[in-house]
Amino acid sequence: MAPAVPRSGDAIFANVERVNAELFTLTYGAIVRQLLTDLEEVEEVNKQLDQMGYNIGIRLIDEFLAKSNVTRCVDFRETAEVIAKVGFKMFLGVTASVSNWDTEGTCCSLILEDNPLVDFVELPDTCQGLYYCNILSGVVRGALEMVSMKTEVTWVRDMLRGDDAFELQVKLLKQVPEEYPYKDDE
Amino acid sequence: MIVCIAVVGHQNNPLYIQSFTEADDALKLHHIVHCSLDVVDERVNNPKKSGPMLNETFLGLLYPTENYKVYGYLTNTKVKFILVTTDLDVRDADVRNFFRRFHSAYLDAVSNPFHVPGKKITSKTFAERVTNIVKSVSFHTTG
Amino acid sequence: MAREVSESCMDSLLTEIVSSYCNVLYATKPELAARRIEAIGYQVGHQLSERYTMERPRFSDHLEAIKFICKDFWSELFKKQIDNLKTNHRGTFVLQDDKFAWLSRMSGEPSTETRGSAPEAGNKAAETTGMHLYFPCGIIRGALSNLGIPCAVSADISNLPACSFVIRIKV
Repeated sequence: MAPAVPRSGDAIFANVERVNAELFTLTYGAIVRQLLTDLEEVEEVNKQLDQMGYNIGIRLIDEFLAKSNVTRCVDFRETAEVIAKVGFKMFLGVTASVSNWDTEGTCCSLILEDNPLVDFVELPDTCQGLYYCNILSGVVRGALEMVSMKTEVTWVRDMLRGDDAFELQVKLLKQVPEEYPYKDDE
Repeated sequence: MIVCIAVVGHQNNPLYIQSFTEADDALKLHHIVHCSLDVVDERVNNPKKSGPMLNETFLGLLYPTENYKVYGYLTNTKVKFILVTTDLDVRDADVRNFFRRFHSAYLDAVSNPFHVPGKKITSKTFAERVTNIVKSVSFHTTG
Repeated sequence: MAREVSESCMDSLLTEIVSSYCNVLYATKPELAARRIEAIGYQVGHQLSERYTMERPRFSDHLEAIKFICKDFWSELFKKQIDNLKTNHRGTFVLQDDKFAWLSRMSGEPSTETRGSAPEAGNKAAETTGMHLYFPCGIIRGALSNLGIPCAVSADISNLPACSFVIRIKV
């Protein structure tokens, strides 16, 4: 087989075009603010953020596969590691870690302690129930779906709510073994 | 000792005020801050008075009272920082340094997407940071 | 070193702002969608101008502030400066970017949304490009507003591949 050596997150990040994180952070913040004004219900905003994330995830996966030289992961375990170490790094510039595996190896947590989305953010009391970073759950779900892994992604810990880290639980629901990295007919 | 630090918006609307002294002094300090705003406006709108320092953010000593020294700082976005201190022997460089750190904290506070421009700063993080900056700054010249 | 993220993160966000507001939230009201997109830009510009003017003395006049937008501000955002600045000396400024980052990538982006068949795609592309530009217009308006210069900002893409931003200062 002789696959190409997968590139490290740091190496990829050093080579992609990058922008000031502040622009990104403030843009995301303004989006959340505007959505809250327009949708009013926190739950609706959570849903919209997740949907936006999903739309982004299904596109970012192409760039990810192209730049990372990752050979197709058949294994959910390997996939999770790659998302944490390479995926997060090459886009957000930060690495996540993976832990809390269940015995079957179909459920784990992605843990992020440094998150550019939340720089400067302090949630007001009126935003109880808001998952500020919900776009991330959509991105992960969307990206994984494109490599034939249907997942359920939920927040376990949220630093904006006082926890010590961001923890996303990723639960594999269904995996369809596939010859190509992504479906052509969808 | 720094006794009061205030942030005032471009319409002279109060955005933040923190006193580091007993409660009954607070009113007096608010009054001092209020008076200093006129001095800032005059300083900034009257080029003759400011000379080459016209566009600098650090406005220097606004006015001394019997017991206090009042310093001003005006940002590009027309936000005023007013510092009131009981230290009488103060170096400009130290005050500049204070304002620089304070400005940095202010920037982060207004970068919170939930902060409403023109409204008071309610961030607890900001209050903590300001307290820490005040504690760590000493205007006393040693020796 | 200042924190960075990949350009694709920012591009993705921008695409999604336009997509959400134009296709979902205000699907039948493009005027409202445009205003919301502009408002998002406005908040960003307002906050960025605060940050990027921290280390510098105050601007003496409008022209200095506009030059700041053209040089330092634009550089922070796009790693390049505005290529050409024109004014009629009566409150209107035209800022031309010969290779505006968000224009060259956005308009080429194939949509993965299932909306519109091929013949409509051309029109949709033009509409979407126009919509994307409300965001940077908002950024400029927010930045200048925070510097004490109320204005109206619009984009002009009649001279592609250049993109011009027209600033009209309110008296």
